[in-house]
Amino acid sequence: MTEQPTAAPLVEMRGIEKSFPGVRALQGVQFDLRPGEVHALMGENGAGKSTLMKILTGVYQPDGGEIRVDGQPVTLPTPHAAQALGISIIHQELFLMNHLTAAQNIFIGREPRKGLGIFVDEAKLKRDAAAIFKRMKVHIDPGAEVGHMTVARQQLVEIAKALSYNARVLVMDEPTSALNETEVEHLFGVIEDLKANGVGVVYITHKMDEVKRIADRVTVMRDGQYIDTLPAAQTPMSTIIQLMVGRELADQHRATGTGTAEEVLRVEGLNRGSTIRNVSFALKKGEILGFAGLMGAGRTEVARAIFGADPLDSGTIRIHGREQRIATPADAVAQGIAYLSEDRKHFGLVTGMSVRDNVTMASWRRFISGGVFMQDDALGRVAEDYVRKLKVKTPHIHQETRLLSGGNQQKVVIAKWLLRDCDILIFDEPTRGIDVGAKAEIYRLLEDLAAGGKAIIVISSELPEVLRLSHRIAVMCEGRITGELDGRTASQEDIMTLATQRSSAAA
Amino acid sequence: MTDTAVQPAASGKPGFFTTQTLQKAVAFVVLIALIAFFSAFASNFATGANMVGIMQATAVNGVLGVAVTFVIISGGIDLSVGTMMTLTAVMAGIVLTNLGMPLPIGILGAIASGAFMGAISGAVIAKLKIPPFIATLGMMQIARGLALVFSGAKPIYFNSTPNYGLLSPESTISKLIPGVEIPNGVMIMFIVAIIASIVLTRTIVGRMIFALGSNEEAARLSGINVDRWKILTYAICGGICGIAGLIVSSRLNSAQPALGLGYELDAIAAAVIGGTSLAGGRGTVIGTIIGAFIMSVLTNGLRVMGVLEEWKIVVTGVIIIVAVFIDIVLRRKA
Amino acid sequence: MKKTILTSALALGLAIGAPAFAQETYFPIIAKGFSHQFWQAVKAGAEEAAARNGVTITFEGPNTEAEIDKQTDILNAAIAKNPQGLGFAALDSQAQVPALQKAADAGIPIVAFDSGVESDLPLTTCTTDNMAAAAAAADGLAKAIGEEGKIAAVIHDQTSATGIGRRDGFLNRIKEAYPNIEVVDVQYANDALKAADNVKAMLQANPDIKGIFASNEGAAIGLAVAIKETGAKIVGVGFDSGKSQKDAINDGTLIGSITQNPVGIGQCVVDSLAKAIKGEELPKVIDTGFYWYDKTNMADEKIAAVLYD
Repeated sequence: MTEQPTAAPLVEMRGIEKSFPGVRALQGVQFDLRPGEVHALMGENGAGKSTLMKILTGVYQPDGGEIRVDGQPVTLPTPHAAQALGISIIHQELFLMNHLTAAQNIFIGREPRKGLGIFVDEAKLKRDAAAIFKRMKVHIDPGAEVGHMTVARQQLVEIAKALSYNARVLVMDEPTSALNETEVEHLFGVIEDLKANGVGVVYITHKMDEVKRIADRVTVMRDGQYIDTLPAAQTPMSTIIQLMVGRELADQHRATGTGTAEEVLRVEGLNRGSTIRNVSFALKKGEILGFAGLMGAGRTEVARAIFGADPLDSGTIRIHGREQRIATPADAVAQGIAYLSEDRKHFGLVTGMSVRDNVTMASWRRFISGGVFMQDDALGRVAEDYVRKLKVKTPHIHQETRLLSGGNQQKVVIAKWLLRDCDILIFDEPTRGIDVGAKAEIYRLLEDLAAGGKAIIVISSELPEVLRLSHRIAVMCEGRITGELDGRTASQEDIMTLATQRSSAAA
Repeated sequence: MTDTAVQPAASGKPGFFTTQTLQKAVAFVVLIALIAFFSAFASNFATGANMVGIMQATAVNGVLGVAVTFVIISGGIDLSVGTMMTLTAVMAGIVLTNLGMPLPIGILGAIASGAFMGAISGAVIAKLKIPPFIATLGMMQIARGLALVFSGAKPIYFNSTPNYGLLSPESTISKLIPGVEIPNGVMIMFIVAIIASIVLTRTIVGRMIFALGSNEEAARLSGINVDRWKILTYAICGGICGIAGLIVSSRLNSAQPALGLGYELDAIAAAVIGGTSLAGGRGTVIGTIIGAFIMSVLTNGLRVMGVLEEWKIVVTGVIIIVAVFIDIVLRRKA
Repeated sequence: MKKTILTSALALGLAIGAPAFAQETYFPIIAKGFSHQFWQAVKAGAEEAAARNGVTITFEGPNTEAEIDKQTDILNAAIAKNPQGLGFAALDSQAQVPALQKAADAGIPIVAFDSGVESDLPLTTCTTDNMAAAAAAADGLAKAIGEEGKIAAVIHDQTSATGIGRRDGFLNRIKEAYPNIEVVDVQYANDALKAADNVKAMLQANPDIKGIFASNEGAAIGLAVAIKETGAKIVGVGFDSGKSQKDAINDGTLIGSITQNPVGIGQCVVDSLAKAIKGEELPKVIDTGFYWYDKTNMADEKIAAVLYD
């Protein structure tokens, strides 16, 4: 780490430990912020960045370690305590009240009063807000309703709110995810101003180019651990990427073979607004195609569009060579496509219904006698069959699925689609929230399915998982497929490079 | 987040005390308690004739309650059940009295017209994406208006249909088992309840209705044609309203176009008291019937005790709140 | 922009149309309800008188007799049309007076019917004397049970003037003229179905009831149904008419009833308004009459004319 003679840090965090049931989120993490500095915080999804910031802003309490503000050790038991010390955070999802004005939002809960304290001094409210906007050198009408503003301006209102608390430390979480180029420029101008006034900014982002432009230093985290802190301008992108992903692959198992040559699915030119941009790819029988990318890259959107759950602006979908119109999930299922959504509790399972009903839900039509009556016995037998095959841990098939553990819930959802005997299976984050043992089982299951002739797409944000399973890997960034890799030889760095390659980079 | 595997007892069947059975049991206990209370404190309550009177008074609300139970379990609501009952009664009148058709055609006409109007409500909700509350509120007025229009704002009498009394006030069972003077209207309610219960628990229709109410989006993403099943649910509700229309018009021997406004609230109350959750995905027909009986036992008992009309209405409201509270507590425990 | 053009066009149209409209004499008649046969009979009488007098009328009412606010809206809309006269049957004899004041201020003559209003605004009120009519019902009931025993009443409404009037008229008559008769229960039911269940519960509570009075058509239908279902040997007396009730009297389920003269009320309203705009004096109240009817006199010409189906 390059040391530079500087003023005392605004904030210093040392040896921060934090655990949740079954998971060690942070181990011995350090971080410091100097006045007038923009310090970028980078790492993969799940590296621990937001956990660290939640500790800094008083939302979580650290299990170990120390925090100093202005050189003094402090505890931050509540967000209020952090705010009182001048630490504010601008979340990725803005917490504003849409029906109130900018001024009202900024001073919510601290409105200036008049008339024996009963009435709000609206004039003073507006004046004070205008003063802050002036300091920030932005033109926003304090009386304008926040709900009618663009995201860019809403963000500026949030910053104004932080400043009104005399924030000296501003944490910004993915601030430019919803901004266009001009707005980003404008925001950077405001940040430069803040810097000049001695405010320290923690800038969490995935966008490499922004780090280069605005940050002074960059800290990399990985798997809950502190890796290194480097000067932003001098450090090459590839170094940063390598630090972000450079882990020992515990399970070196890689996919073998390439699947068959028979193409089952081909999509061309899928488009929807700016979420899906000209996506084209093919999927072969017996193949596992991994879809990698950062969160928000558009992978789930593409999957849902192919499944008919969301509309498309344009594009064609060919199944077994024939173009098909897929307008609803029912159409997709009829064509033999299955989709396991990433939020299984809300979209994959009917949690109030039993294991039996959930396993058979996509196939109920097959178990009717006399036109209306459900063959409950047959349903039960089939469900028990799959519970055995997939080793689902449940006391009986009538158990409500909301009482099962995450891994077993996932198995129920997988069973549902296996029973339906779909040829094309799209798994969206199949092992999210599942322990190591269950994960291994699911990997084996996927491999068996592929070997048995199914065509599988696995969307995953866990690089080791993508590398473990995929014959081929498609990487997405901001709605586009930025590249395809051979699953057997690709590296984590290869994937990360493509995942952070925004359209401005060379094709 | 890690996985903590659930390792419960290895029995093969679910326990008896599931939430739903518990709720039904609570409702049943409340019913028995009320009957015991009134038997003790209201003279002439616990007579055979009064029990028959209570059953007779429950018939219409019980049937409407069953109708609305289907819709509520599916995650929706139907405010038009009261006026739809009136409209179907008018349709029966037109078919039987004005057009002079035989009784079976009249019965069919009532049920079919109810199912048709219900399907329209369902289509508006499913295809136009109008919230069920609003859509059925509109249908409530439409049905009401049509009832007045088709009947010319006059009651239609069934004097020309000699067997019309068979549907409600007459008691076929008393001819088979002397002394059991249960009117046919009540028997029809029980038959409707049994069939509805079977449909809900044993057929694909019921399965789909529970899935829709439990998690419509998950059902859709499992390839289920959500729109079609929704329309069917509302059509079923409307058809059952037709049966209620037959019962009420048979008892009064006339189709009264002014009747019916406000009946939907009693029907929904019966369902809720019986354990049907307004959030959808949960409910039973038996529970609704018990709920309807609780309401009429209360009404009758208070009346027999001589309690003022106004207080009777207050007590019913309190019971509804208590019933929903118990539902929430039981659900939190599960 | 579009809005102003539209409203100006509308205003122009109205301005041109209005004088033509004013040539015809127009009376809006606002009743308490629409669906009961009673009101349809009033309408028939009003239409007959309108044709006879050469005037135009409209006949409206809210959906139920509880919708006081809706009726006020209808009233206000009618006043806005600037009619030559106004017929009104108030659902609430006090609350709607301010609205009527507006009509009076605009110089519109007002005739009340069925229920009166507590004010001097109407030039006359065409009504049945509800209290006297109910008293006659009490007489009929008392005679039929031998002037002694226990009785009850099921009233159609707790708040309207007719409901209150008939209940009080009935109860007062019993109290003052029949000391050996005891009223054990008074219940309320606003439709036939509820009335039927109500009566049955009353009979359960007091099995020794000898007679029951029902204060309107719906209540009477319910009373008849209850008597049929329980087979109770009690004396039933109704109010108003309607096919169900007439049939019940004919087959003995009810022993008799009081009919108003709804057709006469309708005629009275329009005739009075026609007289008023000619400047004629009108008495404060015009009693349109009521009659006791039972099996013996139902076929009489005079009675049959005021009974409706």
